[in-house]
Amino acid sequence: MTGVLGHFKELDSAVEAITELKTARLGDVTVFTPTPRHEFEHAVEPPPSPVRRYMLFGGLAGCMFGFWIAIWSSTYWPLVVGGKAFASWIPYTIFGFEVFVLVGALSTVAGLFIHAGIPRLTMMVGYDPRFSNGDYGVWVECTPDRAESAGALLKKHGAVEVRGER
Amino acid sequence: MATIAYEPKRPNIASANVQLPAVRDYEQVDTEITATLRPTKAWFAALLVAMLCLALGISAWMYQIWGGLGVAGYNPPVMWGVYIITFVFWVGIGHAGTLISAILYLFRAGFRTTIYRAAEAMTVFAVMTAGLFPIIHIGRPWKFFWLIPYPNWRLLWPQFKSPLVWDVFAISTYLTISTTFLFVGLIPDIAILRDRETNPLRKKILAFLSFGWRNTEREWRHFARAYLFLAAVSTPLVLSVHSVVSFDFAMALTPGWHTTIFPPYFVAGAIFSGIGMVFTIIIPIRKWFNLRHYVTLNHLDAAAKLALATSLIVGCAYMVEFFIAWYGGVKAEQDYFWNRVFGQWWWAAWIMLTCNMILPLSLFSQQLRRNPTWLWILSIFINIGMWFERFVIVVPSLSHEYEPWQWTTYAPTWVDYTILLGSFGWFFMWFLLFIRQLPVIALAEVKEIVPPRLKHAHAHTPDAADDFEPETPGAHS
Repeated sequence: MTGVLGHFKELDSAVEAITELKTARLGDVTVFTPTPRHEFEHAVEPPPSPVRRYMLFGGLAGCMFGFWIAIWSSTYWPLVVGGKAFASWIPYTIFGFEVFVLVGALSTVAGLFIHAGIPRLTMMVGYDPRFSNGDYGVWVECTPDRAESAGALLKKHGAVEVRGER
Repeated sequence: MATIAYEPKRPNIASANVQLPAVRDYEQVDTEITATLRPTKAWFAALLVAMLCLALGISAWMYQIWGGLGVAGYNPPVMWGVYIITFVFWVGIGHAGTLISAILYLFRAGFRTTIYRAAEAMTVFAVMTAGLFPIIHIGRPWKFFWLIPYPNWRLLWPQFKSPLVWDVFAISTYLTISTTFLFVGLIPDIAILRDRETNPLRKKILAFLSFGWRNTEREWRHFARAYLFLAAVSTPLVLSVHSVVSFDFAMALTPGWHTTIFPPYFVAGAIFSGIGMVFTIIIPIRKWFNLRHYVTLNHLDAAAKLALATSLIVGCAYMVEFFIAWYGGVKAEQDYFWNRVFGQWWWAAWIMLTCNMILPLSLFSQQLRRNPTWLWILSIFINIGMWFERFVIVVPSLSHEYEPWQWTTYAPTWVDYTILLGSFGWFFMWFLLFIRQLPVIALAEVKEIVPPRLKHAHAHTPDAADDFEPETPGAHS
């Protein structure tokens, strides 16, 4: 992985640089920001996060398991009470709901990890600790022949520091 | 270092859109909030007191294991006592955390931003505390795994129609989700601590705990979506957990318990008690760590309104209980309520009514809502009142059922009280250790409401900040 990292102090400078980098098609852009900002979302124009699907499918699977375990155990060893049905849907809704929440939420976290690419063992290429503090970073992943143009563009928009990394 | 004071033009703008005009940039946020991680003498003293209380509680529990449950105050048929009361109390305390972090997040209530981390941590530690009490209550704690729903050697499963099994599922799900919610929210903040840390060992530990978080736009995008959905499923979970706890009582044909009002009554009470505990914790933190310009009077004011609203709901539930007993015309029910308020248990009932219904009415006063000292004192009364609410629910019912042979009394012993004290020691020990290791105010979320640095200077000055802050903020440059 080779590229150029631009270090910005101001939000709008970083946004302008990203917009122009996208137009110039110099390489894939990764933005580092200490806090989520809509400005970056508009500039990068990413696809919608698929994490919501993990919630849906995990939740449905959990809900079915919650109902199934309660119904199956009731029919596996029936306790006959006054001609009532072995499986009782109303109280079993509690299990359906609780396991829906449990599996749905844990699946969502799994989705976050998968799509955000964490846990990550190595992280330092294209990263600077100042990005978690208050500064912004723009990492352009590009071939060495385009690095100079990318660096010049970042500097033009007010990058206080530009460095090549690999 | 200069101290800046803002004179308010308007006395109260407590709203969802609370601002932090005394916080200027991201560096200030990191520096001031991470200052809570440095131990002070007061922190060590508080930890010592908490651990001493815990040691006393453990000693009393060991004595109970040696002597049997007879050393506690159980007096048949009152076989639910302080331990079940305290279990319900701590589960209730655990409610405000997820309410503040999840429900108020979905409603975009801005005042949650600076208090939700403390409330979430409080939730996890409160549920951990609550989880101890069924184990203490069973008398033979080495059999605790019988509480877990799994089949016996003849493949007979637990009774899924039993409220006690519902309870196990509800509480364990709540603990898991609350812990997950707290930890997921902490990941970006742990990354900030990692990047600021100079000690190599601590840096490695923080790097491991932050999972290599790099603050990329991609990470934030998936994080925001995951957080939203976690909040969305945590919201009905909050409401369901104490409803399920209330079913432990409402499913029994016992006077005072067998009523359909219990689920909403328990949920409102739990939120009320949880907010009370949030005040108990957050007011000293904002004072001792000089964070009054983060947890501002507007935040406290808005939270106090929530406390007032839940107090009114709880008060209404108390009144409706009396009305139903009178209107229902069931003699045993009427006798029970008379005995509860004017008979054998009048003192407990009136402590409950005074602390939960009468004193919180003071929050109709704007002046008192914005008085941290009064809010803290009131929060202690709320904690006491909510413990007594559970006492009033559990003990009077069991001591005055249908048959005269069931009419008896109940008095907790020193063992009950010491284990109760130990539970506070356990809870505060974990909380104090938490605030020493991790930020008690969410760094990344606070930064979201601080204006970012722009090429052209932002108009974020005291004059332009709508004069929301009537209180002198902490000293900062």
